[in-house]
Amino acid sequence: MKIKSKSDLAARRRIGAAKITPGTPRIAVGLATCGAAVGGDRIYERLHEIIQTGNLDILLTKVGCIGYCKEEPLVNITIPGKPLVILHRVNEADADTIIRAVLAGDVLDDKALCRIPAWDHVTGHTQQYGTGFDRIPLYADVPFFRHQKKVILRNAGLINPEDIDEYIAVGGYQAAFQALTGMTPEAVIDEVEKSGLRGRGGAGFPTGLKWRITRDAQADKKYIICNADEGDPGAYMNRNEMESDPHMLIEGMIIGAYAMGVDEGLIYIRAEYPLAIQRLKHAIREAREAGLLGKNIFGTTFCFDIEIAIGAGAFVCGESTALVASIEGKTGRPHPRPPRLTDIGGGLWGKPTDLNNVETWCNVPVIIKNGSGWYAQIGAHGNTGTKVFSLVGKVDRVGLVEVPLGTSLSTIVFDIGNGGAAQKKVKAVQTGGPSGGCIPVRLFDTPMDYESLNNAGSIMGSGGIVVMDEETNMVDIARYFINFATGESCGKCVPCREGLKHTLLLLNKILAGKGTKADLETLAILVDTIQATSLCGLGQTAPNPVLTTLAYFRDEYDALVRS
Amino acid sequence: MDAAKKPVTVIINGRRCRADAGERILSVAIREKIAIPHLCYEASLDPYGACRLCLVEVIKRGKNEMTTSCTLWATEGLDVVTDTPDIVKHRNILFELYLAQAPKSEIIKKMAAQYGVTKTRFFKKVNPADPLGNACILCGLCVRVCDEIMGAGAITFVNRGPYTVVNTPFSEVTRDCLGCGACAKVCPTGAIRIDDLEGERVMTSWSGTRVPLVQCRACGRFFAPQALAAKTLARLTPALAGDVAALCPECRGQQIAEREIRAKTGGAGNHA
Ligand SMILES: Cc1cc2nc3c(=O)[nH]c(=O)nc-3n(C[C@H](O)[C@H](O)[C@H](O)COP(=O)(O)O)c2cc1C
Ligand code: SF4
Ligand code: FES
Repeated sequence: MKIKSKSDLAARRRIGAAKITPGTPRIAVGLATCGAAVGGDRIYERLHEIIQTGNLDILLTKVGCIGYCKEEPLVNITIPGKPLVILHRVNEADADTIIRAVLAGDVLDDKALCRIPAWDHVTGHTQQYGTGFDRIPLYADVPFFRHQKKVILRNAGLINPEDIDEYIAVGGYQAAFQALTGMTPEAVIDEVEKSGLRGRGGAGFPTGLKWRITRDAQADKKYIICNADEGDPGAYMNRNEMESDPHMLIEGMIIGAYAMGVDEGLIYIRAEYPLAIQRLKHAIREAREAGLLGKNIFGTTFCFDIEIAIGAGAFVCGESTALVASIEGKTGRPHPRPPRLTDIGGGLWGKPTDLNNVETWCNVPVIIKNGSGWYAQIGAHGNTGTKVFSLVGKVDRVGLVEVPLGTSLSTIVFDIGNGGAAQKKVKAVQTGGPSGGCIPVRLFDTPMDYESLNNAGSIMGSGGIVVMDEETNMVDIARYFINFATGESCGKCVPCREGLKHTLLLLNKILAGKGTKADLETLAILVDTIQATSLCGLGQTAPNPVLTTLAYFRDEYDALVRS
Repeated sequence: MDAAKKPVTVIINGRRCRADAGERILSVAIREKIAIPHLCYEASLDPYGACRLCLVEVIKRGKNEMTTSCTLWATEGLDVVTDTPDIVKHRNILFELYLAQAPKSEIIKKMAAQYGVTKTRFFKKVNPADPLGNACILCGLCVRVCDEIMGAGAITFVNRGPYTVVNTPFSEVTRDCLGCGACAKVCPTGAIRIDDLEGERVMTSWSGTRVPLVQCRACGRFFAPQALAAKTLARLTPALAGDVAALCPECRGQQIAEREIRAKTGGAGNHA
């Protein structure tokens, strides 16, 4: 049934609501890739088996991931009238006891992580679950969650990503409806501009401005593309966003397409993300059936559809011009800009093209729904909104962390992450993946915003935070990232191709104890030239791990070389 | 685009130079005889920006910004300088990288020496089996000329990153090679080896691909590759093609000249 009016949308909301809080107990297994990797699949199978054979009146479903990867597998229990309870570290063998408890209207105490009596989906919809289970900690009291603010992960781990009705039930597609039926494209762009939203793909370019440039380009055809290449080691927030809430991305793209006057969109995603691809394909099909993609969306004159383009997972193909080359079937090598993607002749098939990161698109629906003023209040001046970080490495609480931009590193690593794993001392973090830099613990009051990170010699990048502890050798870390960048260099320009290779050779020599003071000097001069003269962002930023470790951990280099 | 042809004035090292809007600054500099080293530029090809040697600094609101001049478009009043201390510093490192990458290229050695770089601190790679004789710097000119100008696409980049080389697909003999030799002609380092044997051209660098040559019916000399000749002939009118087919350039010139003379002097023409 196609959704053409407010009442159609309301009807779908009711259908979805009945799935989120059915009159019967609901068990939802966290099944993003992370959950499946630690056995979530088998738990789901086992629960399914028990419910089937016993012909039990329990709704079993899948949800995405709420971000607390350390505690996975996670299973949500919703008993009518009671709060939603998240069970953690569940395994297959717990299935029987879980079901027995649920049938008795209860949950397993020793497995309960927290309870959620009501949840704000940030779309004007607050999901009321119920009261009771007071002995179980509240969600807001769990240290890992306490300092977080969920805007992008508003639905992650709570709704079934394979069911459009549930997305609509928690306020989804209302923003798109509002934009397409009640706003001019200019008004939508104004709103995005005023929100202060900056691109989450790394560089922080103002999204509204990029949209305006694309809208103003004179051309018979334009495209929008979602960059889901996500190639930084240690970063997986985009994967989770797509696996846990694919319709949020689609809705953002619909609104953007309307604002820019575009009828064709693409999602460029790496083949290494099979589950995300599968869920996106499913979601696109659902959206088409509901009349939210395709011709005459919401019964208006606006038409727009999305295709998926699968890439082979090269890091460099995340770079805008290489990405377009890859979609066009050419080798994924960057070319000099201008022309930019938004220029005539510069984008996909030579047409003006707007490229935005997954998370950038995901911000759009709430900006339209709640207004730019609401959005601009989150975060810091010039750095509005929240950002999802993947907190990984030698940190106690590994997971996806969403906080307002401008939150300090120490809040993220110590308050949320609880410091080093196995009680080791934290020494530094690497932000922004291979293009980022190492920030020592003494600079942990650095706010996570685009400018402060640049000043510290690092970058926001896609939001990876890799924690290093006292046992980590920083020269080795630098080598790890240079090795990655060398392997991912496309090989086109000399400083990146040859320069990184020699950087790696020098680091190998130093780490083998064969380096000299002169080698250290050569290293410093070489990375300076790579940074200054490389053709694309890969080479320009690849030296950052060396530059920052040289600046902050020079003693570790000195200790390795002969004088 | 007509708008792009508009004349503009750009400033290079303080000197005012005329240019077409949209023309590349490197091309303006070459015309004005302002020396900027470059290895991957060719006027008839799209800007590529891979060798990174053609660095200039653009002066914008008092601040200098480094960029490559082969990718920089001329706009009215654009103000650039060459050979700043920063450019020299980085360019010298790039030359050192080139000396390490193509240790056997005399042209690279000479070019680097012109800029005062005669030694490299980096590890020199010498592969005795390299079909390009350790002289290729991966500027891509051969690949681009073969594809974009000749339309053959016989050679390409193989592998990625530091393992990149230029060769035929799968490093196998290719049927796509016309044997035109445009690759060797554009190669800035003289890396590509082509050997003309009796009746055959051997693309030694391109997996030993062999292309048969056309023999001149007048003097018996082997001259153009057959595939190239066929491609060229297909574009000519049959009358012209008759003259061109199977005659080497010298004999062709001679025959045409003789015919003209006979026609002028009343002698019986061959073809009339
Ligand atoms: C080497 C390299 C890799 C990149 N990888 C990604 C990526 O995986 N995802 C992404 O969104 N942006 C990536 N970018 C940034 C994109 O070029 C582009 O700036 C971004 O997608 C624009 O979207 P935004 O404005 O929403 O941030 C990469 C850039 C470079 C230079
Ligand atoms: S063979 Fe010559 S023209 Fe071809 S990439 Fe190497 S240096 Fe350039
Ligand atoms: S000539 Fe400009 S980068 Fe090579």
